[in-house]
Amino acid sequence: MAVETTSTPARRSVRVATPRNFETIAWLFMRYSSILLIPLAFGHIILQDVIVGVHNIDLNYVEMRWSLIAWRIYDAALLAFAFAHGMNGLRQVLMDYIRNERLFRLVSWGLLILWLAITVVGAIALIGGVRN
Amino acid sequence: MSSSSLKTTLKGYVGYRGREGQWSFLLHRITGLGVLLFLLIHIVDTSFVYFVPHLYADVINLYRSTLFGIGEIGLVFCLFFHGVNGIRIAYLDIFKPTDWTVESERRSAVIALVITLVLFVPSAIFMARNLLIHNFGLLGG
Repeated sequence: MAVETTSTPARRSVRVATPRNFETIAWLFMRYSSILLIPLAFGHIILQDVIVGVHNIDLNYVEMRWSLIAWRIYDAALLAFAFAHGMNGLRQVLMDYIRNERLFRLVSWGLLILWLAITVVGAIALIGGVRN
Repeated sequence: MSSSSLKTTLKGYVGYRGREGQWSFLLHRITGLGVLLFLLIHIVDTSFVYFVPHLYADVINLYRSTLFGIGEIGLVFCLFFHGVNGIRIAYLDIFKPTDWTVESERRSAVIALVITLVLFVPSAIFMARNLLIHNFGLLGG
């Protein structure tokens, strides 16, 4: 079997006018939020899952952690950026598979409502804190 | 999505030989969806501390099971890969769009995977060790 190698010539950058619509902003949001999410999400998972570990996490641990306002702000940023990034990512993936425009609009609204509902639930818990 | 379009999609993934670029695209999607699925559950389970605090221990107990422990190691891989590869995409799109050539993309895709493994392997060993200590009473646990 012959192996085909593809070669592309060096490219020059060409400026094209991009409409400032929702899709452009969503596309940019995915890229800029990723820069913020590296320290936030990597820091969170390394600390909680690798260093502390789920066997040392309980109500008291959450209460102790959230007694510091800085951790609540950190978690609020994670909730806002990670979840929005993820839900928009899901929307962009679905866009590739749902060819029916009306169905896609319906699904998008469903995702928006789900995103809002879960974000509100998380935000209430973050503000309310641990109820012992 | 009709079943025929799903079939076309799957056949396309198997038949198309885009090599590193295709595999990193696929892995980026799968890991992203995996992290999102966990994130959705995780926001709800954490909110238990406010809404139903007496049930929080039950959820945590589920996470402490061996099955979830193995899933957690998978989650760490997904997040690391998605993050490292995502930064590659963001960097190329924002700062170096002219570097989206086949050769340079193949190289950067492999570099992203290597960085992922450098982060993931020590983390996985540490988490596996925790699992052996707490779930199997090994290593002096």
